Amino acid sequence: MRPFRADRHGGGVHARFEAAEVDVLRRFAADAADRAERAADGAWPGADDPALARLLPDAYPDDPEASAEFRRFTAERIAERKAGNARAVLDALGTTRGESVDVRLDDAQAQAWLRTLTDIRLVLASGLGIEHDGDEGDVHDLESATRRAVYDWLAAVQEFLVLAVSRASRR
Amino acid sequence: MTPALAQPATDEEVDLGERLELGSPWVTIVWNDPVNLMSYVTYVFQSYFGFSKVEAQRLMLLVHNEGRAVVATGTREEMERHVEAMHEYGLWATLQKADA
Repeated sequence: MRPFRADRHGGGVHARFEAAEVDVLRRFAADAADRAERAADGAWPGADDPALARLLPDAYPDDPEASAEFRRFTAERIAERKAGNARAVLDALGTTRGESVDVRLDDAQAQAWLRTLTDIRLVLASGLGIEHDGDEGDVHDLESATRRAVYDWLAAVQEFLVLAVSRASRR
Repeated sequence: MTPALAQPATDEEVDLGERLELGSPWVTIVWNDPVNLMSYVTYVFQSYFGFSKVEAQRLMLLVHNEGRAVVATGTREEMERHVEAMHEYGLWATLQKADA
């Protein structure tokens, strides 16, 4: 990976991802898009899907009725935007296979990436049982170890993207 | 239409309660979570609420160290819009009455 940096001219950012990294980004962005689309279409699964509960948390901590009302008016809209963001990530990665990809993002695309990287990490954290600062997560096999590694790697991707977007907006 | 005051309130306590509710502001609270990066939370506070970098960092550290911070005050409708926006960013936000 060549991490995200602000373009020398103009307000965009750019990065390069190796073929294996592109595969990881595609897989998890596609998962995020699917999950958000299901949430936009379907009924609220509530506690049955802790990851979704973290993506669309209760708006009123001590008032389940008001939270349900809020969700009725906003969940579909938020989920649709999350799905759109994830699809924007997939679009920016293109369709070529087995090659590194140069990613160039304008501000709107960068916003979609920032949000999608967050959503993916929230879902990974939920699956790994990362609930408090400093939690290592339940890593017990290759699959969970891989997810933990992806979780950390996406944090690095996002950290550089936040920095690059902040710099780009000042240029 | 007839102004409400032309009709004397039959139950003064209820009337007073309603007035207090109308005047009582609501707050948007952002809660600490182990996932979101400190840089990202600061960035969201700056870009969405328009806080200076110094103020955005102060609020981010408040969330990080105290577990929560009030990031906006206003009407219930305004706070619901903020909470919706925070959920889009992936931040854990809630709203409640300011005095709750």
